[in-house]
Amino acid sequence: MRLALVGLGTTGSHIARQLIQAPVTELSLYDIDRRRLERVVPAVRAVAHDVEVVTGQPDPADPADVVVLAGPVGTHAKPAASMVAAGSHIVSISDDPAEVTQLLALDRSARDRQRALVVGAGFAPGLSCLLARFAADCLDSVEVINVYKAGTGGPACARQHHRALRSDGHDWVEGGWVLRRGGSGRDLAWFPEPYGARDCYRGALSSPVLLQRVFPNAQRISARMSATRRDRLTSRMPMLRRPHDDGGPGGLRVEVRGRSGRAVETIILGAIDHPAVAGGTVAAVTALAAGAGRAPQGANGIAAWPEPKELLGSLRRKGIRVASFDGQLDVMAVAPRR
Amino acid sequence: MLTLARRVLTALGLAGLIAALFRLRGSGGVPPQTGGWKEITDADLT
Repeated sequence: MRLALVGLGTTGSHIARQLIQAPVTELSLYDIDRRRLERVVPAVRAVAHDVEVVTGQPDPADPADVVVLAGPVGTHAKPAASMVAAGSHIVSISDDPAEVTQLLALDRSARDRQRALVVGAGFAPGLSCLLARFAADCLDSVEVINVYKAGTGGPACARQHHRALRSDGHDWVEGGWVLRRGGSGRDLAWFPEPYGARDCYRGALSSPVLLQRVFPNAQRISARMSATRRDRLTSRMPMLRRPHDDGGPGGLRVEVRGRSGRAVETIILGAIDHPAVAGGTVAAVTALAAGAGRAPQGANGIAAWPEPKELLGSLRRKGIRVASFDGQLDVMAVAPRR
Repeated sequence: MLTLARRVLTALGLAGLIAALFRLRGSGGVPPQTGGWKEITDADLT
């Protein structure tokens, strides 16, 4: 299997680390930042014993089996379009709603060529969509999905987090999209211990866009991100200092409410990990699955994955731990009103 | 002035008495004894 990886930032480096441990014959690495490329490639080569590591941009004339796009937001749609047309499977970790929409618009092109374009294959969206799908599969129908995320990956992820907090986002409410002001809608979300509780707010997050395609009959789909008072105060300004190299650890909480028989049930799943590590693992595992022909054809988020349990099992073997919150079930299961 | 002080003391005394009644006779209930975060294992994924 020949893979190409574009973007060698914090998450991209973790993707490379995962890919060189897999049955890959050739791994092509590229980053627009030449110094970063010169720093990361020798480090990858030093530990990649069975993989030929080359450098260079993905070439439509000689397409790789799978192209993983892990660069900053705004750099995914154009190469995705050209490489899908060239016959590669694509995995993108972009979490920008506008770019996610652009990537989803390549659905027809990917289907015509029987290729998979996996959109939002990171921590959130990515693992968040997989948890939502896993929870939804336990129910007969889905009514409400709420996604909460905390923490960031590398500096590019932190900048996107900052932008998202000041930008308006969309919630799916009763069959339509409702514009929500960024930084509004404070909600205290409890993540798995020891991460604990964080105040979360609305923002320009792409999980609802990806989840609504899989759950079109859901009444409400929303996403929130954690932020401190300082984050909210300074979100309208440029970032006052350079982001951390790794903004982890972070957390995920996904609540899915729906019906199971005549009862209304709420399933709560969560995870805590470094978003760059977990997101990189999700991207690498989905890229290998796409290369093996196990990803759904067309442009889809991970919620559309045909075998979510198998994917969660693969992530678990890579060290990604997921937890469910089990409350007092006799209180949570409420008989529907007549 | 004395009337005001008497009224303030009466109000504080009454508040304290009511608080003491709630404190002594009220029931805080029992916090949840079950539930919590539980790791999803391989058995849950088969």
